[in-house]
Amino acid sequence: MIGNVIKYERDNIDTDVIIPGTYLKIHDYNELATHAMEGLDPEFPSKVKDGDFIVAGKNFGCGSSREHAPIALSTCGIKAVIATSFARIFYRNSVDGAFLLPIEVDDETYRKIANSDQLEINIEKNEIKNITKNETYAMKPFSEIIAKIIAAGGLFKYKK
Amino acid sequence: MTETLFEKIWNSHVVVERENEPSLIYIDRHLIHEVTSPQAFDGLRANNRDVRRRDLTVATIDHNVPTTDRSLPMIDETSSTQIKTLEKNCKDFGIKLFGINDPNQGIVHVIGPQLGITLPGSTIVCGDSHTSTQGAFGAFAFGIGTSEVEHTLATQTLWLEKPKTFEILATGKRKNPFAVTSKDIILSIIKQIGTDGGTGHVLEYHGDAISDLSMEQRMTICNMSIEAGSRAGLIAPDKKTFDYLNNRKYTPKNYDELVDDWKNNLMSDTNSKFDKSFTIDVDKIEPQVSWGTNPAMVSDVTGKIPTPEEFGQNNEIQIESAKKALLYMDLKPDTPIVEIPVDRVFIGSCTNARLEDLKDAAEIVNGKTVNSHVGAMVVPGSQMVKLEAEKLGLDKIFKDANFEWRESGCSMCLGMNPDILKPGERCASTSNRNFEGRQGSGGRTHLVSPVMAAASAIAGHFVDVREFC
Repeated sequence: MIGNVIKYERDNIDTDVIIPGTYLKIHDYNELATHAMEGLDPEFPSKVKDGDFIVAGKNFGCGSSREHAPIALSTCGIKAVIATSFARIFYRNSVDGAFLLPIEVDDETYRKIANSDQLEINIEKNEIKNITKNETYAMKPFSEIIAKIIAAGGLFKYKK
Repeated sequence: MTETLFEKIWNSHVVVERENEPSLIYIDRHLIHEVTSPQAFDGLRANNRDVRRRDLTVATIDHNVPTTDRSLPMIDETSSTQIKTLEKNCKDFGIKLFGINDPNQGIVHVIGPQLGITLPGSTIVCGDSHTSTQGAFGAFAFGIGTSEVEHTLATQTLWLEKPKTFEILATGKRKNPFAVTSKDIILSIIKQIGTDGGTGHVLEYHGDAISDLSMEQRMTICNMSIEAGSRAGLIAPDKKTFDYLNNRKYTPKNYDELVDDWKNNLMSDTNSKFDKSFTIDVDKIEPQVSWGTNPAMVSDVTGKIPTPEEFGQNNEIQIESAKKALLYMDLKPDTPIVEIPVDRVFIGSCTNARLEDLKDAAEIVNGKTVNSHVGAMVVPGSQMVKLEAEKLGLDKIFKDANFEWRESGCSMCLGMNPDILKPGERCASTSNRNFEGRQGSGGRTHLVSPVMAAASAIAGHFVDVREFC
């Protein structure tokens, strides 16, 4: 999986900035996606490209249980969020609906990855290759449980 | 082998448990609302599935509802559509709905306990992070996403990773229990353990300072446990819990028998092992006011806005986030908290809009008038709370002081209905999240207790509520 980085040097990127509450009434995913990250970066929907990755600090996705958050990012084309840690509900929502991969890295890796870097994520090897910088980083392996849900393609396909 | 309360509840709900697999956990109660359920019902229809236990599923409408006159047609079409969608889904699938004009309508986490749907020792889910509120009754209650809502509707179970346990011991006695509230206790805890301090854990609160709290106060503590990143908050049930749930609309018929069982079983065993622990002495806690854009950015009311360096303590990311927060909040370091003016005051939300919250706020407000520069509103947590408050004449106290007295709902906590801040407006809010734009794009939220919110409405700026009582 290869993509380019949109980096936010912030901890605690919450679900209210990922998709503000006022848009939770929207049923159509494509319309929802036009408001993704609006609370933090209103330019996001116009600059994001299919296959991109978001890189951020700790406790990504804290706050509300709204599945709209990973849905909005995924519908914009985001394939993975790489962060130093995640809030639990966002993490599970991301894999339950097979919206995107929540990938945990250490602080050093977070610092090394820059905005616009091109990365290749290899979840079999638990490895992130920075093509731009010619560096390779370790990602925290998914727990066996999460890996199984991801491999199945979401909660409903798991153990069907 | 000793077990914690959480482990006892978990073990009694395991349907399937295998090594290195998630556990399949039985769900006793499923509460749903209009925001996180539509796609779940779409999923059921697309796969030709039914609701497995409609008798254990209850719905209400809270996030979108207008808090003004509900006999008028709704102006916001998308809100109206989302409400009608839930009404249709409940009708099609035979689910009990406390609809927009039902006397039992209210914020989902407020009505669960009020109706006796919330029971000690049970597992409770809702597509809403503040489901943790109901942990105050000794239930494992937690927020889930829409995929999990669909899974629960279809199977009455969830595949879960077992959370770890985190003991929060609250010792001592509050010096002024009217002015220093359970909101101040939980804000102090989050300030110290951080917004991710509880990640992956269930926080179990105990100690004299917790036993001392009323059920409604305990709910505030468990409600905001999610703001520390935790899976749930949990407090062992006691006499206060059993008394609160007695004779409610849905209290089970064999209640006394259940209470006997709960009394003997629903507590952590002596010397049980927690994965983590933290102790807080409530003697030292002052009324709290948040100054930043997450619930760990909090100060004593007698304090000042910290410098980013004081807040960040050598952590560059934290220093940077404090800088950004101060910029967003338009605040300067070293400003005394009591010198910060407020434009709006919101007394409401699942955190602090129950009867005791409104009674305490009314005591502050009684005979006084809201500062002429401030717009203030009270939004009761449920229609039952509203009715009870009106019986006590609280509505009159608030209205006489120029507070608006509204119908119940989530309202300005998250700005899904017309109750929002204008860009740049500063609000003293009894809600749970001070995230950027949470109460309306560009709005600035300061989290406080109901008595602190009431006092700042009168003064027009933050004040130490202890000077009011």
